[in-house]
Amino acid sequence: MKELRHIITDELGIHARPAAHLVKRCSAYESEIMIGTPAKMVDAKRIMGVMGLGLKCGEEVTMTFNGPDADQAILDLQAFLKENL
Amino acid sequence: MFGKLKSALGSEKKDIKIVAPLDGAVVALSEVADPAFAEEMLGRGIAIRPIAGRVTSPVNGKVTQMFDTGHAITLTSDEGVEILIHIGLDTVNLKGEYFTPLVKTGDAVKVGDGLINFDIEAIKVLGYDTITPVVICNSSDYTQFETHINCVVKIGDEIITLGG
Repeated sequence: MKELRHIITDELGIHARPAAHLVKRCSAYESEIMIGTPAKMVDAKRIMGVMGLGLKCGEEVTMTFNGPDADQAILDLQAFLKENL
Repeated sequence: MFGKLKSALGSEKKDIKIVAPLDGAVVALSEVADPAFAEEMLGRGIAIRPIAGRVTSPVNGKVTQMFDTGHAITLTSDEGVEILIHIGLDTVNLKGEYFTPLVKTGDAVKVGDGLINFDIEAIKVLGYDTITPVVICNSSDYTQFETHINCVVKIGDEIITLGG
């Protein structure tokens, strides 16, 4: 399993639109991808769960990757988080 | 015969009706000027151009998440339908002003219960589009998905039928 961490710098956090883009990006991969905080991790391919985290500016988000394309996925999502959140 | 067999096996599902949470004009989701909605990235659904600032529950179920900013809410119906109601576009920027949440995360709700009131005139005057997408986040779980668009609805009128 691979893991990345990112501190959210977008003022508005992960609301509906960024959640939609993130889920779309994750859904392109076969790997199991989870997102959240150590207290609560959810399936990164399910929109309600990702929105439900209600992650805000300044919070650290953790993503885990498990599967055949985990390497590509983690690099892609790292770039996505840096660019958008 | 097959009908009987189906119900005996418990695999027959009834249609699920989702009713309008606002008074207004129902349009296709593709008319929403935000690709996250228009391209169905959040799921399939419809959008309502509201004529009044009151949102009520479209189903019997639970509040999955009341957004801190009061501009959106997600619900899970008793049948497991996941619904997002997002009042206006870019309204997250208002940071809660002009929105009055009437329920909180975890609350049980019935069809027609008040969820959020909002100051539609103020939000419009400030330049926001008040179009309100009503999206089924797990729409891919249903093989039958019918929408009732291009009509004017009142709270409680059917807008989406799900089955399968």
